[in-house]
Amino acid sequence: MFLDMISLDTNLLPDNINVHLLPTPKFKTVLVTVLIHQVLDKNLAAKTALLPAVLERGTRKYPSFRELAIYLEKLYGAELGADVIKKGERQILSFSLEVVNDKFAQGENLLHQGLSVLKDVIADPFLENGTFKRDYVYQEKDQLAKEIQGLINDKTNYALERCIQEMCPTERFGVYKYGSIEELDPVSAEDLYKYYGSLLRENPMDIFVVGEIDAGETIKMIREAFSIPRDSKSAKLPPVEVYNIPDEVRYHEEKLPVNQAKLTLGCRTNISYGDKEYLDLLFYNGILGGFPHSKLFQNVREKASLAYYCFSRLEKHKGIQLIGSGIEADDYRQALEIILEQLELVKKGEITREEMENTRKGLINMYKIVGDNPYSLVSFYMDGLIGAKEEGIDYFIRKIKDIKMEDVVAAAHKVHLDTVYFLRPEN
Amino acid sequence: MQWQTKTNGTIGETIYYAPLEGGPELYFLPRKGYHKKYAIFSTRFGSVDNSFYAVDHDEKITLPDGVAHFLEHKLFDDEKGNVFDRFASYGASPNAFTSFTNTTYLFSCTDFFAENFKLLINFVQDPYFTDESVAKEQGIIQQEIRMYQDNPGWRVYFNLLEALYERHPVRNDIAGSVESIGKITKEILYKCYDTFYHPKNMAIFVTGDLLPEKVLELTLENLSQRLFPPFHDMQRLYPEEKAVVNEKKVTQKLPVSQPVFSLGFKDTYSELKGRKLLARELATELLLEMIFGKSGPLYTRLYEEGLIDEHFSAGYTGERSYGHTMLRGETKDPEALHLELLKEIENVKKEGLDKENFTRHKRKMKGNFLRSFNSLEFVANNYLAYRFREIEFFETLDILEAITLRDIEERLEEHLIEELHAVSVIYPLKVEG
Repeated sequence: MFLDMISLDTNLLPDNINVHLLPTPKFKTVLVTVLIHQVLDKNLAAKTALLPAVLERGTRKYPSFRELAIYLEKLYGAELGADVIKKGERQILSFSLEVVNDKFAQGENLLHQGLSVLKDVIADPFLENGTFKRDYVYQEKDQLAKEIQGLINDKTNYALERCIQEMCPTERFGVYKYGSIEELDPVSAEDLYKYYGSLLRENPMDIFVVGEIDAGETIKMIREAFSIPRDSKSAKLPPVEVYNIPDEVRYHEEKLPVNQAKLTLGCRTNISYGDKEYLDLLFYNGILGGFPHSKLFQNVREKASLAYYCFSRLEKHKGIQLIGSGIEADDYRQALEIILEQLELVKKGEITREEMENTRKGLINMYKIVGDNPYSLVSFYMDGLIGAKEEGIDYFIRKIKDIKMEDVVAAAHKVHLDTVYFLRPEN
Repeated sequence: MQWQTKTNGTIGETIYYAPLEGGPELYFLPRKGYHKKYAIFSTRFGSVDNSFYAVDHDEKITLPDGVAHFLEHKLFDDEKGNVFDRFASYGASPNAFTSFTNTTYLFSCTDFFAENFKLLINFVQDPYFTDESVAKEQGIIQQEIRMYQDNPGWRVYFNLLEALYERHPVRNDIAGSVESIGKITKEILYKCYDTFYHPKNMAIFVTGDLLPEKVLELTLENLSQRLFPPFHDMQRLYPEEKAVVNEKKVTQKLPVSQPVFSLGFKDTYSELKGRKLLARELATELLLEMIFGKSGPLYTRLYEEGLIDEHFSAGYTGERSYGHTMLRGETKDPEALHLELLKEIENVKKEGLDKENFTRHKRKMKGNFLRSFNSLEFVANNYLAYRFREIEFFETLDILEAITLRDIEERLEEHLIEELHAVSVIYPLKVEG
């Protein structure tokens, strides 16, 4: 091993929970993240998204949001987070708690107390008449509805999300991470509680712990805190649909009273995270639009001065590549032409040695710093679990070192433009 | 030249400092085990420095809005093109940002630290502006400005600054406007460069798993080859700002799903720095957390009534020449939220602040400070931003410890006053279809 990487230590608890430890002395805090995996589905998405919000409202021991917040403040401001994450065609419930390392607060047992409150949030919620408290559910439905409607407030993100929706109207991936108002509306406290019970019992569950920890002791603490009655076999989630060659490019235009137009392109890469060509695809994306030295930034921004930003990025599990830019509406043709030309150039192998080497170094740098942030470490290993590619960071770096121009060009040939989405000002 | 060091036992970190004669201040914070190395080179020149007496000039200079930010974009150019490519060849990721009070150039990398560090020091000290490159940048920055015009969070923020301040340049957008950047020329850029980019007006911060000797050696090697002209301090001119707000309320319509609300209180000093400024900042942050934080009774009530969501926040900014508190969030009813917030302040003034609440929030703030040390970027950026206000960032915990409930009560009485508040609201613009 040429890097002193943090290595993953995985243990299976009796309650069918996978515990992954990432011990490292460099952080001032310990991060615990609990993931419950669910399939992203039109009929479930709003319900799934509602759950973390309701659970965060109170536990049996701390029945209100306020009491919970006061308790967390006493733990030196422990950070509790509960949300859903969309990765490929999964919607993952994510609960995390970050506490200051016990060495900074002698005798306080912050990690121990933190684990216990995190477990309570997930598995010991505040109940009324045997179900979730009605007020909490209704208030959170109201908040979630606002979150769903609020997508439009961030125009960059809105344009990317709309492109995905137009691209995947009948695929799971086309479902918004918070679901839809129509699906949210009819959810009752009883429905939600019933759903919660099955999710907690049946769905795959992972726990990550990152920080300066003693492995044996941490496992013991988790085993004690997280004794949740669960089925001995987890539900199987359907695999993500990746392979798709569109018959023709679809064009969509939408008008809004905005100042800047957004040009967004969605491509099918036909390569998923678990595929052996994934790193070739990542390399291809780096050449095209992952860095300031990439073709898109250099040509759309630096040479033609058409945009402040122009990038490409991968949805690694679904195998979709999105290209985003903010331009003047009048420059639509010119910008689209330049972007399409860059896609063609990579396909033809018109890539300089400098572009190859700069991209290689940039990607290696990107992987090396994963271990410098507790949240990126969790995210990296989460991708490994979802994509069934459980190699460590070293493996990725070694592979990137060996990628050749032919590999990049081969990956480029699997990429097909699917949708061009254009958001333009009204006048 | 030798390092001087200062160790903070509570956080378990040692900061290195070297006063380079005639050159920039140099700081280094070793972080064992991190792969990332991060370096910043920062100057005390931001968007509020738009009127000054320059180095060799006794005439007052007034700049079009957006010059500091424009200069930040253009400094990446040199005769051979653009330094982005050279950073890329060493696997580094370079960037820069302009705030109200300073401009910062940076890179992060894992390998080739020496090469990247040299590149950073060199490109910041070698300006190369041409009429053509200035014209080209106007198109790019125009799109940056347009992007922010569509950003409701950004708009509600600058509208509030315009409401709070009548004359102070903090009321102007950092990037300027499409019109103002059209007036920027290469002559203006050189003039500002010569005035504000003298190394005596700048500082360098390096952090990562590096040897202190190596960092010092690299810096000295580079700077010793340069002949710096003598430094003439520029005189920054800020118009006199009265202790009243400019407008009570500013509104705008944008295509948003629900109103975006912000309420500000203007602070009333005209020049403040050092420990006094830090103590004021920390005391005000504590006060705001105690009244508006998630553990307070107000937050739960407003949340349950649907007047705020979990993104509702309160914060204080204390710069040398201005300071303000801002509360912000999305709401279905900005008028009702506005009244509720003011009512709660009056209520707290009547009922008094709670000692237990105070102790708990202090503890939380201590935890937050420790947690922030996980991020190399956060520490480096803040260290210099505080340094420019003559504050030693590592003293934060000591100053925090010394704050009393009495200090918080004083801030409540002197700062959160109705006459010194203004609101800014973005209302939804009906979207067709």
